[in-house]
Amino acid sequence: MRKEKRGGKDVEKRESMWDVYLRRGMSRRSFVKGCVALTSLMGLSTDMLPKVVEAAESKPLPVVIWIHGHECTGCDESFIRSGAPLASDLILTQIALEYDHLLAAACGEPFEAHLEKTIETYKGKYILAVEGAACTKDSGVYCMSGGHTFTETLRRAAANAAAVIAYGTCAVSGGIQAANPNPTGSSGIAQFVGKTPLVNVPGCPPIPEVMTGVVMHVALFGTIPPVDGSGQPKQFYGNRIHDTCYRRPFFDAGMFAESYDDAGSKAGWCLYKLGCRGPETYNSCGNLRWYQGMSYPIQSGAPCIGCSNAHFWDDGAMSERLPKFAYPIGDVDKIGAAIAGVTAVGVAAHAAASVVQRNKHRAEKAKENGEQVTK
Amino acid sequence: MKPMKEEKRKVYYIFSPFLRIFHWIMVVAIVTLFITGLFITKPPVVLGIEPTYTSFFTNWVRNIHFLAAFTFCAAFILRIYGFIINKGDRLFPRVWEGHFYRETLDVALHYMLLKPTHAPFLRNPLARASYAGLYVLVLIEILTGFAMFFAKNPNSIGSSLFLWVNVVLCDEMVTHWVHHIVAWLIMVFAIGHVYMVARADIMEAEGEASSMFSGVKFLEHTPLDACELGKESEGK
Repeated sequence: MRKEKRGGKDVEKRESMWDVYLRRGMSRRSFVKGCVALTSLMGLSTDMLPKVVEAAESKPLPVVIWIHGHECTGCDESFIRSGAPLASDLILTQIALEYDHLLAAACGEPFEAHLEKTIETYKGKYILAVEGAACTKDSGVYCMSGGHTFTETLRRAAANAAAVIAYGTCAVSGGIQAANPNPTGSSGIAQFVGKTPLVNVPGCPPIPEVMTGVVMHVALFGTIPPVDGSGQPKQFYGNRIHDTCYRRPFFDAGMFAESYDDAGSKAGWCLYKLGCRGPETYNSCGNLRWYQGMSYPIQSGAPCIGCSNAHFWDDGAMSERLPKFAYPIGDVDKIGAAIAGVTAVGVAAHAAASVVQRNKHRAEKAKENGEQVTK
Repeated sequence: MKPMKEEKRKVYYIFSPFLRIFHWIMVVAIVTLFITGLFITKPPVVLGIEPTYTSFFTNWVRNIHFLAAFTFCAAFILRIYGFIINKGDRLFPRVWEGHFYRETLDVALHYMLLKPTHAPFLRNPLARASYAGLYVLVLIEILTGFAMFFAKNPNSIGSSLFLWVNVVLCDEMVTHWVHHIVAWLIMVFAIGHVYMVARADIMEAEGEASSMFSGVKFLEHTPLDACELGKESEGK
């Protein structure tokens, strides 16, 4: 899109972020301020600022192709609400977003042709952002756009990308369409990415600043950020919500909301007993929060549903602690107590039968020996 | 007045202090872990207490849980040492030997009340098989427990040792379920174990219960598994 604006310029002479600032007559001061914001949002220490400035001055704007599979476009919705930097700043001055279903003004055949042209022109250099699950059943016919299945577009775009970013739980592990019984055979995109470096950014949706942070890290340093064993950036997914939650002291003190409308809930006590998935969920909600630190689900009084976990839709009733076997049989502890009770009754019955058997055996023996058993 | 009977019995020294100490630490630790575990899953209601007077209840319960867990694991090292130095402590069922199956069947038929008695054993083969089962349960608890414990810092050494458990079980939530359900299975084992020990002590009167304090059992007939102990155990 941006290339059309620049008219007949050679595509190889791509602008850096600093070039864009110059062209628009923006000050060096606002450029450095932008770099400071980027540094902190990438989760880097301020020592890294000179490197970020250098990269922003010299590196051409990264070309980003953003494709969509099986999903709700909620990740895009989250992305455009990024506050630091503003999503508009990011799209207009910090990356060259060449293809995106949601944000594109163009449409139809020219738009699809532009995707092909971008892949050709920037082979091995562009960043591929993927939102949504890959639909695998019946050759992927349940998710098509422009006459191609999503899996085919994904495979082709990923093979030629410098790095792939999987945005949202759908792209990482299939999300809601992969929930049981998964009629379309949806899965995460990893199996279609091949050898291209992949970074997973789960969440339903991910936090906007996490999304912009990851794409800027790839853009400025040319590599994916440090990731953990499951391919998630450590700086954003290295802590449990439970361990970073501002309500944790209430957990430690044993002060729990018992229902959504009791005094504990009103007082802002821990939501553990209402099924909060904080103890199993790794995300930045506790420290970054959402929408410029305004709030996050727990702060708003709703227990965490663990939306960055791979199979959170199938983990059972979201308002219950350890619910998997609760429905339809009953509480795990009640089942356990019942089994223990049955065992105890069985043991008692066995004891009684054993005594009867022993007495019978002794009587028989006594008869045989013709002597009194005294033991 | 009850008549007294004089009979000859052999005294077998079986269990070393390492096994006995470990056994009782295991008892205390498992009871503590189970009770605190239930409190962690369903913290008791303190609604109505003024915040000024609450005293980090869940935190205390969790710390006691962790303390018991680490004590348990540490005691396991004593157990392993006992296993190495003392033949009587080697309770693992000899599943690689044919007579194990015959003997287990014999004992099982007796427990099913189909046979009035079973052959004499120092360490009952069916019981030994159940201890192997218990150790599997305990191993699951240790693995899932540490997987949850160390996950507070996914970059630590502990998590690099145990976090694969969460991957194998697909989901950390599943780790919580497994840990919880297996805890109940251990309780079911404990009920059966206490009953069988009491039953053996009463029915066979060979010192089954006291052997876990003294390490010795008193048998009238030569037990089938006496050969496993070597000569030195006899008559101590």
